[in-house]
Amino acid sequence: MKLEVRNLYKSFTGVEILHGISFNVESGKALGLLGRNGAGKTTTIRLIMNLFEPDTGDILLNGKKFNPKEHQIGYLPEERGLYPKKKVLEQLAYLGQLRGLSRKEAKENTLYWLKRFGVEEYKDRKLETLSKGNQQKVQLAETFLCNPDIIILDEPFSGLDPVNSQILKDVIIEQIAQGKLLIFSSHIMNYVEEFCEEIALIDKGDVVLTGNLNEIKTEYGKDRLTISVVDMSAEELANIVKLRLTNLIKLVETRKKYLIIELLPSVSKAELLKALAEMDLNIEMFSIYKPSLSDIFVQKVGEN
Amino acid sequence: MKDFLIVLRFELMNFMKNKTFIISSAIICLLISIGLSVPTIKNTFFDSSDEEVTDEFGEIEDINYGIIDETNSINLQELQNNFYSGILVEAKDMDELKDKIDSDEFEAGFVIKSPTKYEYVVRNNEMMDFGSYSFEEALIHVYRVSKLESRGISYSDVEDIIHPNIESETVILGKDSAKNYLYTYVLVFGLYFIIILYGQLIATSVASEKSNRAMEVLVTSTKTTNLIFGKVLAGALAGIIQFGTVILTASLAYKLNAEAWNNSLDFIFNIPGEIILSFAAFGVLGYLFYSFIFGALGALVSRTEDISTSATPVTITFIVVFMISMMGMQNTESIVLKIASFVPLSSFMAMFVRMSMGSVTSMEIFISLGLLAVTTGLVGIIASKIYRMGTLMYGNPVKLKDAIKILRSN
Repeated sequence: MKLEVRNLYKSFTGVEILHGISFNVESGKALGLLGRNGAGKTTTIRLIMNLFEPDTGDILLNGKKFNPKEHQIGYLPEERGLYPKKKVLEQLAYLGQLRGLSRKEAKENTLYWLKRFGVEEYKDRKLETLSKGNQQKVQLAETFLCNPDIIILDEPFSGLDPVNSQILKDVIIEQIAQGKLLIFSSHIMNYVEEFCEEIALIDKGDVVLTGNLNEIKTEYGKDRLTISVVDMSAEELANIVKLRLTNLIKLVETRKKYLIIELLPSVSKAELLKALAEMDLNIEMFSIYKPSLSDIFVQKVGEN
Repeated sequence: MKDFLIVLRFELMNFMKNKTFIISSAIICLLISIGLSVPTIKNTFFDSSDEEVTDEFGEIEDINYGIIDETNSINLQELQNNFYSGILVEAKDMDELKDKIDSDEFEAGFVIKSPTKYEYVVRNNEMMDFGSYSFEEALIHVYRVSKLESRGISYSDVEDIIHPNIESETVILGKDSAKNYLYTYVLVFGLYFIIILYGQLIATSVASEKSNRAMEVLVTSTKTTNLIFGKVLAGALAGIIQFGTVILTASLAYKLNAEAWNNSLDFIFNIPGEIILSFAAFGVLGYLFYSFIFGALGALVSRTEDISTSATPVTITFIVVFMISMMGMQNTESIVLKIASFVPLSSFMAMFVRMSMGSVTSMEIFISLGLLAVTTGLVGIIASKIYRMGTLMYGNPVKLKDAIKILRSN
């Protein structure tokens, strides 16, 4: 399956919120929808889920207009909420049936996912009597119970402690391995880095960066290297670079334990290595710089 | 359709498992059963056949009124026979009269000055004092009798001429409103009560799905028409079950106690079949009509507290419809009731009143029912669109007319 989001525009009360959002995502891959608060991530997701109609633009699945009602979708909305006064199993089985499961299947799947998230003991309790974290886990169980082909998670990690985050991470990795198509929005970059092959970075209603995460990292790290020297602080090394190596490299950033440098045009890595060897420096690290997603995010959003 | 049935079942169970629903139904049924069993209980445990029959006017006979006839020409026995407020006791003079009034021996006193003039002596003149009125009537009677007799005319002859006994019989070609009044009243009031109660419940249920944010999960799981139609019809079924249980309990309780009632309430319980059918048809459609509106109203607010404010115009309209129907029961031929019986906002109640208590042609019934059915369908579709639109509208409540404007502009 290939989901294509093409040129989505959306206005509310005359104010344009999305200015042409486009990205693609395929089965067996996860797309991380990134952006600051209010960037337009949730609106984009709601358009995909057909909660709103876009003003213009298309959402296609395998080249045809995408109708969420025709597919099994595991959707975790940003606004979490179920029936507070209903018993957990009862309401999840009801929602499972609404998504096309038989009553028996809905109950079985509910019990499986409640167990998976470690909340099966609360199945006969009213939702409102559970702690916030457990309510969040019940909501996650609800998301996965219809065995969805497409999974859309809006800020899934918010409100989860590290142990529960790990459980969710394992579930997500397993779902991707099973060939599910996954879109997930977040502003917590390290989660995205862990399992998203593709990203779409949204800023103020525009996609400012999209594509394969590794390729983006390579592109952002092009001609850049990280170096460090044994028994020498990054500041000392930076001073040496500024004094003796300006003909070969440009200092980009001084990090706590290493430097990020950029080779000047027509200078090769071998030339730099040779110069370093001649200076008799005890090289600890000499590698191609791969920026973290946070670096790219800050840089890209900062530009805007 | 499958989803609709799933929603219907879930929502119906919500109503049926609701403690308020169960307890209120049980209490109403219990009260009706006890109320209708009172004569049987009385006959069984408090058999009154051996009791002394007390004088209906026992209390009145204990009340004495003083009287002084200064004319000495009044037939006091005749006066007493026509004075129903107490016993007239002669007093010697004014002093004795006043003393006895002061000592509460006399309730009050009358001093007859002439056959057409008297003085009323009383300690405190109270608002609800019928003594003097009753005395005056008796005095007039005595005066008439004496004057007529002095002219040689028999009073009873005159009375026969003035107040002849008229015998009458009513041949009813249409409906006997007097006889149908009570059961029509019960049914109309029951309908009013159920629509107001369940309408509010439906609006609250929709609004709480919004306020607890379950709405987003629901509308992405199934069509909004399934959600609102399922919810409204579940309310209708719950209402029918509750109303039906009450009526059934009352009928059963009456059947068991009919003998003790001497079948005197037959006219309430022997509702004709066609009236029950028309009540069901108009009642259900009217219920759906208003429930869809209440459902849409629920979707336009973000908090359940805002419902009563938002629902006020609809509630007032509904009360006006109820008042028109109630007043129409006094006069089924009134033009207001006739118009109301075709307007879908009110026809479900007004046409039922006309059918139950007045005369109405089958054509009129079909036109009214058709109009109501089509409008209810339309209201249902519009309500599901408003529900869909209101789903993710948080913030200040949106007015119904503004919501329709937004729908039209889309």
